[in-house]
Amino acid sequence: MSEFLQFLVAGLKNGSIYALIALGFTIVYAATGAINFAQGEFFMLGGMLCVSFTDLGMPLPVAAVAAIAATAAIGAAFELLAVRPIAGDSPLRIIMVTIGGAVVLRQLALHFFGPDERALAPFTEGASLKAFGVAVELQTLWIWGLTALAVVALALLYRKTAFGRAMRATAIRRDAARLVGINAGMMVTVAFALAAGLGALAGVAVAPLTQTAFGVGAAIGVKGFAAAILGGIGNPITAVAGGLLLGLLESFAAGYFDPAYKDGVALVVLLVVLFVAPQGLLAKAGRVKV
Amino acid sequence: MNARTLRALAPLIAVALALIVPLAVSDRFLLKVFTFCGINALVVVGLALLFGYAGQVSLGHAAFMGLGAYTSAYCTVELGWPWLLGFVAAGVVAALGGLILAIPSLRLKGYYLAMATLGFGLLMSLAFIQAEPITGGVDGFSGIPFPSIGPVEFRSASSLYWLVWGAVGIAVLVAHNITSLRPGRAMRALHGSELGAQACGVDIVGVKVRTFVVSALMAGLAGALYAGVVGFISPSLFTLTASITFIAMTIVGGTSSLAGPILAAVALTLVQYSDALIPGLPRETAQTIQSYQEDIYGLAIVLIVIFAPRGLAGLWKRRSAGNEAS
Amino acid sequence: MRGRTFGWPSAVLLVVLLTALLAIAGCGDSGSEPSGDSTGAASGEPIKIGAILSLTGTYAGLGEPEKNLIEMEVKKINDAGGINGRPVEVIIEDDATDEAQAVAAASRLIEQENVVAIIGATGTGQTMAMRGDIQRAGIPQVSMAGGTVITNPVDPLVFATPWSNTIVVPFTLDYLKGQGITKIGLITDSGGFGKDGQAVFKEAAPKAGVEIVADETLNPGDTDMTAQLTKIKNSDAEAIVMWTAGSEAAIIAKNARDLGIELPIYGSHGIARQEFIDGAGEAAEGVKLAAGKVLDPSLYPEGSEARAVADDFISSYEQAYGEKPGMFPGYAYDALYLVVEAAKRVEGDLTPEALLEQIQATTGWVGIDGTYNMTAEDHNGLTVDDLQMYEISGGKFTPVQ
Repeated sequence: MSEFLQFLVAGLKNGSIYALIALGFTIVYAATGAINFAQGEFFMLGGMLCVSFTDLGMPLPVAAVAAIAATAAIGAAFELLAVRPIAGDSPLRIIMVTIGGAVVLRQLALHFFGPDERALAPFTEGASLKAFGVAVELQTLWIWGLTALAVVALALLYRKTAFGRAMRATAIRRDAARLVGINAGMMVTVAFALAAGLGALAGVAVAPLTQTAFGVGAAIGVKGFAAAILGGIGNPITAVAGGLLLGLLESFAAGYFDPAYKDGVALVVLLVVLFVAPQGLLAKAGRVKV
Repeated sequence: MNARTLRALAPLIAVALALIVPLAVSDRFLLKVFTFCGINALVVVGLALLFGYAGQVSLGHAAFMGLGAYTSAYCTVELGWPWLLGFVAAGVVAALGGLILAIPSLRLKGYYLAMATLGFGLLMSLAFIQAEPITGGVDGFSGIPFPSIGPVEFRSASSLYWLVWGAVGIAVLVAHNITSLRPGRAMRALHGSELGAQACGVDIVGVKVRTFVVSALMAGLAGALYAGVVGFISPSLFTLTASITFIAMTIVGGTSSLAGPILAAVALTLVQYSDALIPGLPRETAQTIQSYQEDIYGLAIVLIVIFAPRGLAGLWKRRSAGNEAS
Repeated sequence: MRGRTFGWPSAVLLVVLLTALLAIAGCGDSGSEPSGDSTGAASGEPIKIGAILSLTGTYAGLGEPEKNLIEMEVKKINDAGGINGRPVEVIIEDDATDEAQAVAAASRLIEQENVVAIIGATGTGQTMAMRGDIQRAGIPQVSMAGGTVITNPVDPLVFATPWSNTIVVPFTLDYLKGQGITKIGLITDSGGFGKDGQAVFKEAAPKAGVEIVADETLNPGDTDMTAQLTKIKNSDAEAIVMWTAGSEAAIIAKNARDLGIELPIYGSHGIARQEFIDGAGEAAEGVKLAAGKVLDPSLYPEGSEARAVADDFISSYEQAYGEKPGMFPGYAYDALYLVVEAAKRVEGDLTPEALLEQIQATTGWVGIDGTYNMTAEDHNGLTVDDLQMYEISGGKFTPVQ
């Protein structure tokens, strides 16, 4: 039983990270109808920038906020410089630009931060909490707390603010939104910034547990996308559910079968969902067009 | 001979010229570098076909190359088959892999197809590592024999060069036939509008699957050639990075021609070997170029897609640029 | 738009390019003149040795210090008269931690530079990748990578300087047994180094009277080992033994402590570097590992040759590069000097065959990793006597009895 619970905790921990990345995909998709293949690089940038800022002497909370803000700014710049010039163009070109952009971001991180893996101190020092034979790292509590906070904040932003309503209006019909005076281009830039910020948050939160390096973006990006597609892309609630589910699947596969196949789980899930139900297993079929 | 015939023959003339290179080059390493150029060009011809003519994208083509490379290595080393048989098997296995991916992918478009191929590529990378009894795992597969056809063994640098560029020539011929005959027109129609093509009675499903399979086949054969030329393969050769490199070559070359992508494959491959190409190039310079090589690929993709969507080939087709840019 | 598939201009461009290639190739023909600027004490035609290092990519942090060391020592060797009066020229190539580039580099060094031997590579994968070219050329190779596969089974042409798992694993097992630990939970990575360690453990553990009660693996790049550690926790293991060299080791140590596992942790010599201590932080405290005595040269008797070699190596590296050398420059030192010392012993023409024979004849040569005795059956040449058990305490590697 304690074994099961321990796998559950590990699954929900990694699942929260996937959920944040999946949210990033979802936000950009909702605003533009496009998939940003560079989403995973924002996760990497968040972690690497936070480590660098603490190296410069910033206290951890300041460094974390600065890293998330800086990554959000990079996300906005990425949209303006690379995606904007071909906005609304064929998916093929947007795929190519975001893929190329991802390579550039990763290489820049390599040149700036060097090739080594980097460590970040835990947010709170101290022993793990133990109950029912299960240990929960304090950092895991941070990850859960921050993920929950991000999800709630995002929900409030979208539902309660004029800005959020404008975002949703743009997502539903861009031309109509423009007619009622919404600056659709601005909305897209903000969506990229938000998505980048969420990715960076995930990268910062998990760095104390896993360390980070310039090359971690691509793999986490694919897992985040698998989570998003599992939930049904475009729906923030199911994207989070998809992330948690994927984390659990991985954790139980590693625990009860063979850890060697852990990374394969997300990829098999991705392919199966794409082939069988590209509208997502968790979202109501037909709600989102593919 | 009118201009049109010349145009059609131009790529063949180019390949023929490429085949003369070993007569002028005595440096065996340079020849090997040009051989690598040819192997990459072979993959890129397949990608350009998929990309430019069918409007489909594959972010996992290195996986097909790997399938071919491992099949050829396994057949020749473990099963003791003649090289040519292993080469054919490599093509068959890669084509089958392409078929297995293409059929369920038919209902996928754009982003979803791209993600599926990316996922497939990553899954195959894992498989190459895990299928240790066949692939040798992370340590790789060594002791692969030189290519041979009957009693003829391709051992010298120049014979390997001819073999590879000969294969490129045949691939170009095949691709040319595909693109200039009826299915080719169907494929170009696909790129423009699937609905329109369908309305004209084009068998979209068939064309899509066939293109994907041919493209995977070319990558697989390129993999088998690589295995024979180098004698060693390992999973790290067939990763996402390699797939993106092939994409960069295709995009930079331009997606509506074959000459462009081949040219780009040669040029971008040479970037990697700048120290060998330019005798006396200081090691620091060569090293700098090498460490920025992926930056060059990434930036090239972004810039070309934004500013010159038809690639190098498009830049030269000045007349068509204005008409077709939109 | 028919017939536009192959535009004339692009075909012309292709022809132009090929012509350019021909021209460059023509220049390349005459480009084989020696480019060594041998202004040192040694003169005459330089002896060319190739070195293939990971200067970029994942192992850049390992390859860079190796390059530093080689450049520093080559200057020293040439100032002292080179090899029997001939200067040494080491041509360094970057493999970018990539097998394909390692192969290309080996090929270039062999075919364009005509080197007599190759030092490298930094990583096991790259070392194995160039095997085909080494065999086809018949020249000796001395690797700086730790995988046992490099020298086991023995390839007549290939040597390696880091301690092989076949000596470190039995040494570690004996120590465990001495601590009264007979049941271990093993966790290895599925990469070359860990997989190799796992195989050696499985073979050596029964002989040492130690039982492997949990045998877990991880993939290089994994960031969460909770599943594996939970299984070890629920077995009756008395110690965790982790055999992985990358950042995964730090994660294992941290995960274990976070899961509240109090078992002692043993690592491989692959974690004998500052990055592990930095990465694992508090969790690194108490971790034990076997490594060479160079981590603490005072282990060698005062006045011994080994002490002098180690002290000199550390002080001259520190002086030149402003930081203490880690394990990797030590591997490079040994690799370089195994070749150079062997070359000095060659009488007559310095052919690859003669050089190979002399490298294999190395006996009692004191390097950084220990004392090398090469034989036809042993292309690593080190023994358990060259090893020492360390415990990490206060962020430092401290020798233990």
